[in-house]
Amino acid sequence: MNREIFLSFSFHLLIIFGATLTLPFLLKKPIDLPPIISVELIQITEKTNIPFAPKAKKIIEKVKEKEKLVSEQAPPKKVKKEKPDSIPLPDEKVEVIKKQEEKKQNPEKIEDKMKQVSEFEKKEMFDTNQIAALIDKSKEEEAKTNIKSNKITQSQDDSVDMTSLTLSEEDALKAQIFGCWSIPLGLPYNENLLVRIKLKLKPDGTVMKSEILDHARMNKPGQGFYKVLAESALRAIQLCQPLRVPSTGYERWKNLQLNFDAREMLEG
Amino acid sequence: MNLNKIFKNAFLIVLVSFVLSACATKTKQLGSQIQGDVYTGTDTVEYLASGVPDRVFFATNESVLTTASRETLRKQAAWLRKNPNINVVLEGHADERGTREYNLALGERRANAAKDYLMTYGISSNRISVISYGKERPVDSGSNPLAWSKNRRSVTVKAN
Amino acid sequence: MKKKLYIFSVIILTLIPFKAISLIEVDITRGNLNPLPIAVSPLYIDESSKKIFFEETKIENLGSEITKVVENNLKTTGLFNPLSKDAFLQKPDIAHLKPRFEDWTLIKAQALITGKITIVEKKIRIEFRLWDVLANKEMLALAFTTVPNNWRRVGHIISDKVYERLTGEKGYFDTRIIYVAEEGPKTNRIKKLAIMDQDGFNTKYLTLGNELVLTPRFNPTNQMVTYLSYFRNLPRVYLLDIETGIQEVVGDFPGMTFAPRFSPDGKKIIMSFASEGNSDIYTMDLETRVVERITNHPSIDTSPSYSPDGKYICFNSDRSRYQQIYVMKSDGSNVKRISFGKGLYGTPVWSPRGDLIAFTKLHKGKFYIGVMRTDGSGERLLTENFYQEAPSWSPNGRVLIFYRETKTNDKGEGFSAKLWSIDLTGYNERLVTTKTDASDPSWSSLLSK
Repeated sequence: MNREIFLSFSFHLLIIFGATLTLPFLLKKPIDLPPIISVELIQITEKTNIPFAPKAKKIIEKVKEKEKLVSEQAPPKKVKKEKPDSIPLPDEKVEVIKKQEEKKQNPEKIEDKMKQVSEFEKKEMFDTNQIAALIDKSKEEEAKTNIKSNKITQSQDDSVDMTSLTLSEEDALKAQIFGCWSIPLGLPYNENLLVRIKLKLKPDGTVMKSEILDHARMNKPGQGFYKVLAESALRAIQLCQPLRVPSTGYERWKNLQLNFDAREMLEG
Repeated sequence: MNLNKIFKNAFLIVLVSFVLSACATKTKQLGSQIQGDVYTGTDTVEYLASGVPDRVFFATNESVLTTASRETLRKQAAWLRKNPNINVVLEGHADERGTREYNLALGERRANAAKDYLMTYGISSNRISVISYGKERPVDSGSNPLAWSKNRRSVTVKAN
Repeated sequence: MKKKLYIFSVIILTLIPFKAISLIEVDITRGNLNPLPIAVSPLYIDESSKKIFFEETKIENLGSEITKVVENNLKTTGLFNPLSKDAFLQKPDIAHLKPRFEDWTLIKAQALITGKITIVEKKIRIEFRLWDVLANKEMLALAFTTVPNNWRRVGHIISDKVYERLTGEKGYFDTRIIYVAEEGPKTNRIKKLAIMDQDGFNTKYLTLGNELVLTPRFNPTNQMVTYLSYFRNLPRVYLLDIETGIQEVVGDFPGMTFAPRFSPDGKKIIMSFASEGNSDIYTMDLETRVVERITNHPSIDTSPSYSPDGKYICFNSDRSRYQQIYVMKSDGSNVKRISFGKGLYGTPVWSPRGDLIAFTKLHKGKFYIGVMRTDGSGERLLTENFYQEAPSWSPNGRVLIFYRETKTNDKGEGFSAKLWSIDLTGYNERLVTTKTDASDPSWSSLLSK
């Protein structure tokens, strides 16, 4: 009983106190809203220009130094294309950049960008000394032996010397597969839920061959969920055929690796 | 303009005060039947004999005897001394706001608290047996604090 | 010559490291959480077998009845979406031999179950197959025989196998649930022990309702039940043989025994014994009848539950003033408190997988069902209600069954008690249908091992 009276009294006091303190403010004029600050949205273009990707920055700087060198090599690039199986373009560093780009998820219109691809990619980076060296040496030999094939290359698409998907191409493919992948709800959310699948694709986006990496894990005791996870990923790929692949540059993406990771969705 | 605002605020303060005072009156109503979470009313109470209530009540999660409970038990002890051939069963109960198994143990503890007190007033332990019903036999089937307080009890029942 | 060799070696050298790297990687971190669309084609039976089945079981079309059991089981997991049969294009008999996968992809099925049943000397023989419709291949093929009256169990066994193949976890469909069936006014409930299949069928009553019965639990072989009975107004722990119906009191205790469970090897019963206001935990060996005292503390110690390896016991105690959860070694040593959140904790029960302990929590007038790791960390509350308690684990440690009571109005009307289940992820909360009101559920282990 006493407790209630005490509480009531103290609440009354609080209200009166609060009222006396706040009331004067009601007499003041309303605060003006601060002026609207315009914000510039950064466009995602085919060319990487992300300031926060440290590795990319380094590589871009490196490349800018070598830009002149690269442009001199422009004609030989086409020559190299003639023998794609002999000297494939080294692209590990380029891939790293692309990975940094993946963090951003701004879907762009694909059609527009695809047309511009070839122009941008001529400036694209090849920053290893090895390539330069290779090109020098091979140029002489190949030029002699591949005059005929030269003509063929010229009629090919003059796109895509890069060896990774552009940001928008990747987003398109991802969006497609996101829709097809039914993640098994029963998976344990606190385990490693990554399954990597290597695909060999046909130009129209259908799958010729698929291979699950970490295949040994499928039959490990206690890892029964891995098999379930892998099967769900395979089903997703099946459902999504033909995959949303770029219309050009088949050589670039004919070997594709999809890394399915259910962790994000299941951890909630 | 300013005057208007002052009146408005003064009105608000008065309104809020009324609201708060309304809350106070509600507890006053229950207060007559519950004190310190223990039922003090006579609603469900039966009598072993004239002036001897058959039950004592407890607070939530407690098995402590209140002053009122001890008074009731003293009356029961006196009556038992006058009737040395009567044996009793003390039934311990709990309200429904707890897990079933724990409530069985709590009922037993409450009944034993009453038994121990009776024994201090000279009633021999072989006249008193104890049983717990946990939350299985509520006397009031309501789902509100008043009903629950009536169910937290130890009842003395004639065994013969 | 030298030059050619030089070029050749350069080519080889460049080929080796770089070919491996010329691979684009794309990270797929999102998908949908839709239940897997699965088509369950009715099991095929030929005409002569159909007639014999009908004579034995009075069921017209056993094939479709069994598939109904399977569909229902899969649907209640929340992980599968059994497709409507009206859309099926292929007939059961043909589908079972070799499905035309295009027909099934057309209706958006990703998995398909087909099968057939035949009579073999008064027994039924079941063959079934699970197909991956998208990969166009068989995932699972099994056959087994049983008596016709066990046809519902056939559906449960098929469900278990399919569930295991598609989720990687053991199933829980070929199981039973024992519970207390209740009726009557809240102030005087009539309670009986009841047992049913986990999908609510085949309910049987094991006691008549003449005395109060509470908290029944199965033994590991699902043949015995231990529970609390107020027979002759003496609350004691009893043992009941499901087959014979014979009941016997456990031990010869001079006071109330309650909250009984079996040890994981089925040899002992662990329970609380209350005496003079104090409740402690005891065990009794069913063979030797030797009684062992496990806790010795003036507080209430109850709701004991063994870890699946039998080495530890979790229990409920108010030795720190209010109900909390403790873990100790099975000999009673090394008692450690593991619940530290706000509120009261009760009914701890160890998961059959050994990794989690489920519990009931009461905080600010609300009841919660939750789980925590065996060291008390990672507490997760799965559901909240006006009143709910006493979770019990499915044998695969993925689903919890518990019971809820409803609030009554001021006149005391509107009371009901029902069984509910929820998945460990907190999804898929559903009502478990029972013929009457129900409480104190306990899940058996898999009947087929």
